Amino acid sequence: MKVFQVLNPGVLTTIQDFGRKGFMKYGTPVSGSADPFAAEVANLLVGNDPGAALLEVTLFRLELLVLGNLAIAVTGGDLTPTINKVPFPRWQSVRVRPGDRIAFRRRKTGFRAYLAVQGGVSAEEFLHSRSVFVRGLMGQPLRAETILSTEGEVTGDFQPRIIPPEMVPDYSKRSPLRVILGPQDYRFTAKGIETFLTSEYKVSTQADRMGYRLEGPKIEHVKGADIFSECIARGAIQVPGNGLPIILLWDAQVSGGYTKIANVISADLSTLAQVMPGEALRFEKVSLEEAHQALRRQKERLEEIRNILVDRKG
Amino acid sequence: MNHWPLIRPSGDRAVLIEFENRIDPEINRQVRSLALTIEEEKTAGIEEVLPAFRTLMVTYDPLILDHEILQKNVRSWLDKAKNIHLPPGRVFALPTVYGGEHGPDLELVSGMTGLPAAEVVRIVSETKFLVYFVGFICGLVHLGGLSEKLGVPRLNTPRAFVPAGSVGMGGGQVTVLPTDLPSGFNYIGRTFVSLYDPKGFPPISFLAGDEIQFKSVTEEEALKARGKEAAEFA
Repeated sequence: MKVFQVLNPGVLTTIQDFGRKGFMKYGTPVSGSADPFAAEVANLLVGNDPGAALLEVTLFRLELLVLGNLAIAVTGGDLTPTINKVPFPRWQSVRVRPGDRIAFRRRKTGFRAYLAVQGGVSAEEFLHSRSVFVRGLMGQPLRAETILSTEGEVTGDFQPRIIPPEMVPDYSKRSPLRVILGPQDYRFTAKGIETFLTSEYKVSTQADRMGYRLEGPKIEHVKGADIFSECIARGAIQVPGNGLPIILLWDAQVSGGYTKIANVISADLSTLAQVMPGEALRFEKVSLEEAHQALRRQKERLEEIRNILVDRKG
Repeated sequence: MNHWPLIRPSGDRAVLIEFENRIDPEINRQVRSLALTIEEEKTAGIEEVLPAFRTLMVTYDPLILDHEILQKNVRSWLDKAKNIHLPPGRVFALPTVYGGEHGPDLELVSGMTGLPAAEVVRIVSETKFLVYFVGFICGLVHLGGLSEKLGVPRLNTPRAFVPAGSVGMGGGQVTVLPTDLPSGFNYIGRTFVSLYDPKGFPPISFLAGDEIQFKSVTEEEALKARGKEAAEFA
């Protein structure tokens, strides 16, 4: 069923789901929603599977013409979503009708918003996933005039869902990103490690779904920045010879030959997805146990939200 | 002194198992033996098993598989891997046209090495290059086995566009591009065999342990392979 016509594709809007897992050995990154927490909640709000395909909206200017009676939900960063120029609440389901215009007008907090539609967005699958991965020739960002559809019929007839305000993440609050040192932390001097852990870094304009290049104090190597190419974990912070860190993210290459000083913990990747170029970052070292504990808490939080939404379904 | 292999965390969802720090077919064999051992275990919580030149990365879900248990398991899998039978890789013979518009740097390589162009082609086309691993992006193969006679540096200025299937070398390494890419290698030939298919499974035909030969053929012969999959040449 046709749901939206793209009037303006915005800065960058891609279809994402949970990504394609299990294909890194064929040189294919996982991709998927940059802020999986926000994406999952958006889907739950409209009764979808948590990993259904939805729109990942970057910054602003996306404008959609609604083609059916639909239930939608917007989560993630506050990019001032409007219906017919009137702002509408985020983190809850909203009904729209044919002829309505949904627009994202101005960035207030965060960097990426998620727009889920009841039924999920239909798109070509590559390796069992609809996540757009441009460099891998797997789909394209939205273009003007594109018509988006759902797999089946949807009615928009829907018991409204909302999550309690205290469970909505505050993207304006910025605590240091937690990292696990390694696997090549021994290739940096003590001074280099100290620089990394005590300095403020600015996200450069070269920041996309592949990775964030950072600007700030140079990190000192013991001797050279090259290693024999090896696989790269999501959130790895590599430091090439120029001493400036690059955080490798959702669409990054699966292997590379630069020393990696540390890795952002999985629980903080959703936070990182909402940091935009020009903003400042700091890093804080934690233990593996703390990282796993944070991941467990995040999972529990999602389960709590799922319980609340399923109860409301009646 | 280090005692190989070493096991280190690589973030909170992966461990990196490192073997001796050099590029060597025997060390890569140890990597692949461990990879096969772990794949055969089918342990709940293990997500991906990723060989590289001299390291193996294992990604896992820490809420299903405890990190300390994984570390302990890796130690026993390392013992098991010593006795595992690693089946031989497949050999791919990809029809390749050398020189001219398809290999714009052949004369340059000939000049830098002092070898006649025909000799450069003979050496490359007769070598069976070992696939150490598949990675980077779109399944780029990391190959080993380039003759030391062909140890030419990379180009000073990388090209912004090199077509898919181009076969080139630089800094002691040799590669074949799975898609159109920017590159600083010296390109001496091209195969028209399709190396990457985002709609197919697997998207690329090669795996660590396979061998690739870039068989010298005429342009006419090379063009006949256009659109065919690499599996047809194994």
